[in-house]
Amino acid sequence: MTSAASASDGSSRRGAAGSAPASRWLVALALIPTALIALPVIYVLMRSWGAGWQAIWSELARPRTLMLLGNTVTLCLSVTFFASLLGYAAAWFTERTDLKGKWLWRVLCCLPLAMPAFVASFAWKSLGPTFQGMPGAILILSMESFPLIFLPVAASLRSMDPGMEEVSRSLGKGPGRTFWKVTLPRTLPALGGGALLVAAHMLSEFGALALLRVQTFTTAIFQQYELQFDNASAAVLSALLMLLCLPVAFGEMWLRRGVRFSKVGRNTARRGSPARLGRAQPLVMLGFIAVAIVSLGVPFGRLGYWLVKGVSAGRGLDALGPALFGSLSLALPGTVVTTLIALPLVLLVLRSRGFFARFADRLPYVVHGLPGLVVALALVYLSIRLLPAIYQTRAVLFAAYAILFLPLAQSAIRASAELVPREIEEVARTLGRSPLQAFLSVTLPSLAPGLGAALALVALELMRELTATLILAPTGVVTLATEVWSHTNDSAYAAAAPFAALLVLISGIPVYIFTLRTLRPRSDHQAR
Amino acid sequence: MYDVTRRQLMHLGVGAAGAAMLSGLPVPARAEDQTLALYNGQHRPPVEALVAAFTAATGIAVVTRNGNSAQLASQLIEEGANSPADVFWSEESPSLVAIAEKGLLAPLHADTLQQIPAKYAARDGSWIGAGARSRVVVYNKSMIEESALPKTVLDFAGEAWADKVAFAPNSGAFQQQVVAVSLLKGRDVALAWLKGLRQYGRVYNSDSAAVEAVEGGDIAVALSNNYYWYALEQELGPDNMNSALYFMGHGDPGTLITVSGAGVLKTSKKAEAAQRFVAFMVSAEGQAAIVGAIAEYPLRPGVVSSFPLKPFDQLDPAPVTPADLGDAAEALALLREADLA
Repeated sequence: MTSAASASDGSSRRGAAGSAPASRWLVALALIPTALIALPVIYVLMRSWGAGWQAIWSELARPRTLMLLGNTVTLCLSVTFFASLLGYAAAWFTERTDLKGKWLWRVLCCLPLAMPAFVASFAWKSLGPTFQGMPGAILILSMESFPLIFLPVAASLRSMDPGMEEVSRSLGKGPGRTFWKVTLPRTLPALGGGALLVAAHMLSEFGALALLRVQTFTTAIFQQYELQFDNASAAVLSALLMLLCLPVAFGEMWLRRGVRFSKVGRNTARRGSPARLGRAQPLVMLGFIAVAIVSLGVPFGRLGYWLVKGVSAGRGLDALGPALFGSLSLALPGTVVTTLIALPLVLLVLRSRGFFARFADRLPYVVHGLPGLVVALALVYLSIRLLPAIYQTRAVLFAAYAILFLPLAQSAIRASAELVPREIEEVARTLGRSPLQAFLSVTLPSLAPGLGAALALVALELMRELTATLILAPTGVVTLATEVWSHTNDSAYAAAAPFAALLVLISGIPVYIFTLRTLRPRSDHQAR
Repeated sequence: MYDVTRRQLMHLGVGAAGAAMLSGLPVPARAEDQTLALYNGQHRPPVEALVAAFTAATGIAVVTRNGNSAQLASQLIEEGANSPADVFWSEESPSLVAIAEKGLLAPLHADTLQQIPAKYAARDGSWIGAGARSRVVVYNKSMIEESALPKTVLDFAGEAWADKVAFAPNSGAFQQQVVAVSLLKGRDVALAWLKGLRQYGRVYNSDSAAVEAVEGGDIAVALSNNYYWYALEQELGPDNMNSALYFMGHGDPGTLITVSGAGVLKTSKKAEAAQRFVAFMVSAEGQAAIVGAIAEYPLRPGVVSSFPLKPFDQLDPAPVTPADLGDAAEALALLREADLA
């Protein structure tokens, strides 16, 4: 932030002329994440290129590649679809109906965020082979990722003026038509943003899929790295995976095409009259209970089981302190770095429609689908050659974190940024504030909810990040996630359980903050 | 008690080292600073036990970097001359062979090499085995009778065993088994075996996942290393086991000796301390620490494992040595041809 401040300070006198072009300092700041994000892309392309056309072609032409493509696409689309369905339905029921116990259901719909997919998958797998394979993976991953849809959609339903729906109803449109014509279109950006995050997650998911025996590009890339030491075909698969991420990036662009949601004042939405559930009330509740059992009950039950039952219980408990310390000392600064880096990207895109802005905005989504392993190895390769002094320091790890999780921060900040009319900053400027003052006094406070959400969401992801941490962390530093991984690798589930439990517990904090940020209490309780 | 205390000390050391790095400043490099950086691909219990014993005996601190052997080997290759590693302890010999072929390993002291039988070390003395294990067949006792198990591991690749055999093509030990089949029976047999396994067997992500699947009754049989079964037995208790080990013997590649082992990086700036660490691994004290924590066979004559292992001299394993098995390149070529990778 200090660099942002000083850079903008330098240009403030020039900007006093009154025009508001995408300031040069903003472009300069946006160059940092863009350059960073380009590193793994360059690495992957370089390595693929190094393999030669022959090798690339023979890799692409293998029936196995086709099988992997089929599995990757099936998993990605199915999980995104089911998570969207589930997340949207849950959001609608808790925001637009007279469902009883909404508070409880909201909490239960957010909690799965704290459960790392690999922990949940281990729990399910240990119940029997039925849950292994593609159908099981789709079920489990949909259940663990639907909060990514639920939260933004619920927030968007909440901030949406119900007057629109009422007008539609008063014009004689039925509830169904009103939903399709009024409600859905207005929540589409929130739904789409969430869906794209889920899709990108699925492209890069590894731990859960390895446990559930589903082979995708990600697991195949890991396998390549485990099988051989000079890696061209892993690079070719990574390049293919980046291609698969392109639709996600373009989906993002298409979704936001020409949409601006500026509104003046916060929390101005009134609460409309909720839809009556009537006799469906118990049925809907049953649905929520079922989701809670699948997404939370089973994983927690298994953790408890291993805590009590396993013989390795208590092994390595003295590492609990260092692991907790390691998790926090990597995740918290990593979160701040990632969020700060994302900020200029979001602002640039809001203020400039130029090619660079669009490119810089999309690129993180393309890289978001890459497994942590590929990004980590890219950084090993580049840092050891170009900047050996920073190798195996936190700097490289934070860079990896930023590369991997920028889109999460971008989406969260953007959700707030889009609600801030640029005109307000211009008003502040005409009242004699410098661009920096205008930014600090007007724009930044309005961005606070988005920044808070971004911090919480990124912290959550960093807490459970595994592969990049394993490869890049300073030697001797362990985290809760790496300890869980390492104990389960040794079949010491009881030894892993306290680390997993602590991980879920700690993750609960950002989930709580994120939930509060997203579903902040309405200021108009009197409307009830 | 003593062991626990030592482990606590060790963790304290790791924690302190971690905390020192947390300060954001590089750890001050004193001239006499002898803290070794160990890249560890081996399972953690034996490593933690050995490091604690080594530090207690020599006063030399060791900071470990845990990971998967093949990934750490990739990382060492990427790091090249700038590697901060002093010692690489690999779960499997192919990772050691791979970095030795890249010229990254320094020759071990002759004294060290003499401590164990020569067939469990590199021919050029660049790495040394520290523990041996056997490829075995793990079977679920309620799903199949031991007498119904075949005499050779090659038989598992047939229709009669459809959906009954778990295997992990990613596992380094499985790859060594593939190479052993190829060396003993010919490349065509190895390829046909892999294709059969792909068609009739079931792929698991790791040996331990395959063993757990057998124990859980998901599948009847798994090709695995012996110690995964013992780890699970420790976890569940010996009286609760649904599965058991089966050794083919008579020189069949179904019973194959592989080793975990270590080498000293040529670029180590603490070469003498690193050599001492590897020497300690094969000392009587070091071997006892290792085989007290994992169900591997000690390679130093006279040391006894604390696990109820089938005696090493009764295994009658496939007649190939770890050095014969080479790096993973040939295994990978075969796996790719069989469409398993």
